[in-house]
Amino acid sequence: MDIIVKDLRKTFGEKVAVDINELTIHSGEMLGLVGNNGAGKSTLFRLILDLIKADTGTVHMVGKDGENSVDINVAETEEWKDWTGAFVDEGFLIDYLTPDEYFQFIARLTDTSNEQLQEFLSKFEHFMADELAGQKKLIRTLSAGNKQKVGIMAAMLLKPQVLILDEPFNFLDPSSQNAIKHLLKKYNEETGATILVSSHNLQHTVDICPRIVLLEHGKVIHDIDNKEKQAQTILENYFEIND
Amino acid sequence: MNKYQLYKLICKNADLKEKRHPMFDKNRFMKFLMIFMWLYYAAILIFMGVVMALGMKNSYNGVAGYHVFDGGLIYLLICDFWFRFILQETPAQQAQPYALLPVRRSFLMNVYLTRSGLAWGNLYWFFLLVPFGLIAIAIPVGWIAFFGWLLGWWLLLVMNGYAYLFCRALCLKHLLWVLLPAAIHGGILALMLLPDKNPLDMPCTILMNDFLHWKLLPFLFVGTIIAVLYWANYKLQMGMVHDEVGKKEEKEIKHATQFNFLNRYGRLGEYLKLEVKQRMRNKTVKMSFFVGLGFMIFLSAISYFTPAYDGSFMRSFICLYNYIVLGMMTLITIMCYEGNYIDGLMSRRESILQLLTAKYYFNVLLLIIPPIILLPLMIIGKMSVWMNIGYFFFTAGVLYPLLFQLAVYNDNTLPMNAKLTSRQGNTTQQIVSLVILFLPIGFEKAATALLGDPWGYILLAIMGIIGIVSHRYWLRNVYTRFMARRYKNMEGFRASRNS
Repeated sequence: MDIIVKDLRKTFGEKVAVDINELTIHSGEMLGLVGNNGAGKSTLFRLILDLIKADTGTVHMVGKDGENSVDINVAETEEWKDWTGAFVDEGFLIDYLTPDEYFQFIARLTDTSNEQLQEFLSKFEHFMADELAGQKKLIRTLSAGNKQKVGIMAAMLLKPQVLILDEPFNFLDPSSQNAIKHLLKKYNEETGATILVSSHNLQHTVDICPRIVLLEHGKVIHDIDNKEKQAQTILENYFEIND
Repeated sequence: MNKYQLYKLICKNADLKEKRHPMFDKNRFMKFLMIFMWLYYAAILIFMGVVMALGMKNSYNGVAGYHVFDGGLIYLLICDFWFRFILQETPAQQAQPYALLPVRRSFLMNVYLTRSGLAWGNLYWFFLLVPFGLIAIAIPVGWIAFFGWLLGWWLLLVMNGYAYLFCRALCLKHLLWVLLPAAIHGGILALMLLPDKNPLDMPCTILMNDFLHWKLLPFLFVGTIIAVLYWANYKLQMGMVHDEVGKKEEKEIKHATQFNFLNRYGRLGEYLKLEVKQRMRNKTVKMSFFVGLGFMIFLSAISYFTPAYDGSFMRSFICLYNYIVLGMMTLITIMCYEGNYIDGLMSRRESILQLLTAKYYFNVLLLIIPPIILLPLMIIGKMSVWMNIGYFFFTAGVLYPLLFQLAVYNDNTLPMNAKLTSRQGNTTQQIVSLVILFLPIGFEKAATALLGDPWGYILLAIMGIIGIVSHRYWLRNVYTRFMARRYKNMEGFRASRNS
């Protein structure tokens, strides 16, 4: 599924949060979004997910839904929600459910059978590290890292063609960060899903994203081909990491 | 920085916290409305004060008007106590942001407790007391007596404030502590209302009369109670600052009930489960239910055992109240709890429609409870079966659809686990509450006057059945309008989240 952003602008008062003339994320692409705080990464994700209203411009999802060709403006229909999984923050989690209940809830909404759910969860066994499955803890009592894991897994449980994760490495311990890198990469390779990931962790972003977009004050200032990991130097220079 | 400067700074921060509450910050109109409502209720109190003073101008059997007024002291203190639950936080809750700053905790606690005692809020009842006292005491008795009487009232309100803080702090430990003031106040009210002569009338009158005459003993008496309550609060709340700062909910729930029988209803069943779990696992939501249920039983019991509510209007009110209250307690703030996870809901297709449908079915199911509670009244003939049938259907098919309209306009997130009540109802919600509570009675009276006894209620039932049958249509209509306003609502939910 292609995501086509056109003339998209969002301001909060005087501050320009997003101002993008044109950005196309191609089907099957894994795109990393980087930038300083306030660069507009989360706002762009929220605009793509139709969670906030754009001042101007559109976000289209174009591609194949089964046999049918689709070209959808996300602000005009809810159809895209069937193939889009996302986790931006805790506002996505129903925190008075246990992780198991939450996964079951999502599974039933997506007509996923119990067997399919168990199969899905088994792939994440290492990632969950005995902290989530079978626990009688409500999500609101989990640590920030475990909440993050629940959110990411719930987004992937939808088997989405478009997966959007805002700061997925936040709060996670190093081994979980590593695990999620591999899981995302594998998911992208196996399903051909379009994946958008924002992160302040340059190393992880460079490791998994063949294309990286650098945002500043809501504008795309670099669209970097990272197939050969060449984004590392550009990003280090931009963020003045070696100074 | 000396201690006085620090005191001023902490007070200033506390004032800013109130002033910049997200509810007002995101909505200037709401701010205006709150000020308007504040002035409106103040005007009502002034009006009541003047009317009561003029009405009690002449003495009754040698008893001065203000003595009659003072006899009702306890009612006013009980009202004052429970109103405080809506607005006042405990010092332990307020102290949290200072936990890691170089401010002595004991000093902080003293600041907050002193501030609670000196709060302007304790003077709100003066809108009633001052006009009453001016007319009923200052003019006929004298200004010195008036000021003594007023000072006595202020001390009693401060005492009440500290008693509230103590109970509220206990409620933070466990919700069931709310039963303590409820039992005490219930006991006092029973003592005052059940015997032929109110035994507390005279002591209240004597106390206030002694204030009026500037006798030292009552001032010492109330002052001592205030000091004891201050000390008790200090001890209790100091211990609680730790709990509040390191607040951690129970690690595991005892029973994770699955409600598998709802699986057969597919996605709708999932949202029904969500609705049930929301009510079972969140303190605020759970408490709303039990408070509503408590009032239903209380009013019905009074109606059953006493002739107090035997009038036609009160019978209708009790019937309507029983049917609507459980729904109203949650539907008046419909979507406000969902504001906590609105982004998750909005990223699923038509989830809001399914959620609204589940909410409707769940609330219709709750209508099984009122006939059970009202059955004794039907058996002894104090309430007709037809009235029950009429209100049952009218609630499900007319009043619920009206309440569901709020789903389109409610855009403030309510915390689901705020201790007891942090419900900040806005004016629209208050107006809808009043309409829901009183308009149907007018309609019922008109219908029964026009068509006669059973036919008036049959008309109510028919209107309700039409609403029930067409529920898919009006729910979709609510959903469509919600989606049209979604950006505004989501912005509101996010801005008020964690407030």
